[in-house]
Amino acid sequence: MRRQPFNPEKELKEIGKFRTFPSPMAPDGYLPRYDRPVTPRENFLAMLKGESPQWIPNFFYDIHTFCPRVIPDNVARGMVVDGEPMEGLKKGGLDMFGVEWEYEELVGGSMVKPGNPKCPDICEWEKYITFPDLDSWDWAHAAEVNTPYFDGGRPVEFTIFSGLFERLISFLDFEAAALALLDEDQQDAVHGLFDKLCDFYDDYIGYVKKYFPFVDIICFHDDWGSQRAPFFSLATCREMLVPYLKRVADSCHKNGFFLHLHCCGKNEMIVPAMVEAGVDMWIPQPMNDFDYLLRNFNDKLVLGVQPPELKEELDEEGVKEACKKYVESTLVASKPRVLCFASSALRKYPSVAKMLDYLYPISREYYSKL
Amino acid sequence: MSIVKEIASAVEAGKSKVVGGLVEQALKEGVEPSVILNEGMISAMGIVGEKFKNNEIFVPEMLIAARAMKKGVEVLQPHLAKQGVEPIGKVILGTVSGDLHDIGKNLVGMMIEGAGFKVIDLGVDVPPEKFIEAMKENPDCKIVALSALLTSTMPALTSTIKAIEEAGLRNTVKIMVGGAPVTQAFADEIGADGYSEDAASAAELAKKLFKEATA
Repeated sequence: MRRQPFNPEKELKEIGKFRTFPSPMAPDGYLPRYDRPVTPRENFLAMLKGESPQWIPNFFYDIHTFCPRVIPDNVARGMVVDGEPMEGLKKGGLDMFGVEWEYEELVGGSMVKPGNPKCPDICEWEKYITFPDLDSWDWAHAAEVNTPYFDGGRPVEFTIFSGLFERLISFLDFEAAALALLDEDQQDAVHGLFDKLCDFYDDYIGYVKKYFPFVDIICFHDDWGSQRAPFFSLATCREMLVPYLKRVADSCHKNGFFLHLHCCGKNEMIVPAMVEAGVDMWIPQPMNDFDYLLRNFNDKLVLGVQPPELKEELDEEGVKEACKKYVESTLVASKPRVLCFASSALRKYPSVAKMLDYLYPISREYYSKL
Repeated sequence: MSIVKEIASAVEAGKSKVVGGLVEQALKEGVEPSVILNEGMISAMGIVGEKFKNNEIFVPEMLIAARAMKKGVEVLQPHLAKQGVEPIGKVILGTVSGDLHDIGKNLVGMMIEGAGFKVIDLGVDVPPEKFIEAMKENPDCKIVALSALLTSTMPALTSTIKAIEEAGLRNTVKIMVGGAPVTQAFADEIGADGYSEDAASAAELAKKLFKEATA
């Protein structure tokens, strides 16, 4: 990508609007568009293709999240982000496999109530699990109402909830799912189920391409760890998950999508598995060692890096200094490919919001010299 | 290798299909049931816990070892009962009111059971009254273990402890707390007797608190 020197006068000037879904950050459904050297989409996609970006993208401005309600999982998981009215939308309920999810307003997400798994025996999963009929969803209506919101200026990310391990948990409950990954009497059944799931995800991703051709990135939701460690070893991950995640990655790539693995937990130990599977992007949670990840893996995948916790009110100079330090910390990678992800917990601090405002000019200045 | 050591390594490796047979063999050889339990199975689960804490093994390995121990205990139980060997103590366990998460709580229960305790698992979304009822039904129980995964349900840890105090039962038990958002500082603040950050440490903490409670 051609790197021009940073021209603050030109590049910070608002020259129009990007259409987006109405949200607290964009109540009128528009975000400002600036005179940048390339569009946020071009910047982001270049980064996903392996180049350092011209500036560090900010997850809440430089990406357009799309979770339409036509996908039953998005409603069940309480994560609908689309162009239809939110009033009257009841979150929770049955997902695409008929598993019941309970929505928790305070948390802003759903979970399957444990204790009554849909599939009581993984070895008999074919008896209990019916695969969804993709044709039964009104894709055409979803395309019609949502397409006008996408103007090509920002990259679009479409989320597939409940990937492989999460899906297994939703069918079996956590302990049975974790045990099944290692128990030689159950492993074949898990392989059989994952194989069939990959066929399904391949079809599903094909439908996304057909009806939502403006999508650039598939976010595949599969949590692999707790706050202290991965749920399973790298060896187990390689044996039981990597072959199937690789198939999902292949399905994405053949349709021209990049694969973002949403994977909560302290998962540094199993990042090699993500790389081997062909994952293009991962946003680690704050408990991960970012310095280690940037030094060792940033040439292999794009990493989301949390900004620092700026809880106390800093003056303008203090915020700028914190932003500079943040940008400099990403330069430990030989070829930095970083997305700034400030969780909602962090965004409640005004100093963090201010820092995100400085992210473009400061990172643009540093990254123009790479 | 002695038969007890064989049992220990089978439990540690999670060989549930062979543990029962090995326990039967040990009994035939005249090994005391309490030795089989303590030196064969509980000590093996101690090693499993230590390895889990150090990230040498993970949840599936821990689950598979616990399942193997359960198979051994099934064979051993009638012999333990005949000799009057009791669990070392009781622990009342539950995820507090408003919180449906059971993963951490179940792993803690499993490791505490593996340490030789009887666990009374009240499940998830447990209101304070249910903890109090269980305590009244089990006056010999010395430990109550409370779990919360959400920052929004952490206050339920506080209110549960308060309810136990108001019921006049606080001095009869040691209370331990845990869960992703919980810290030692928070545990201190709400007047808990102990906090642990993972399931293996919870089993160690239960042993320590039980010792203190019965000293």
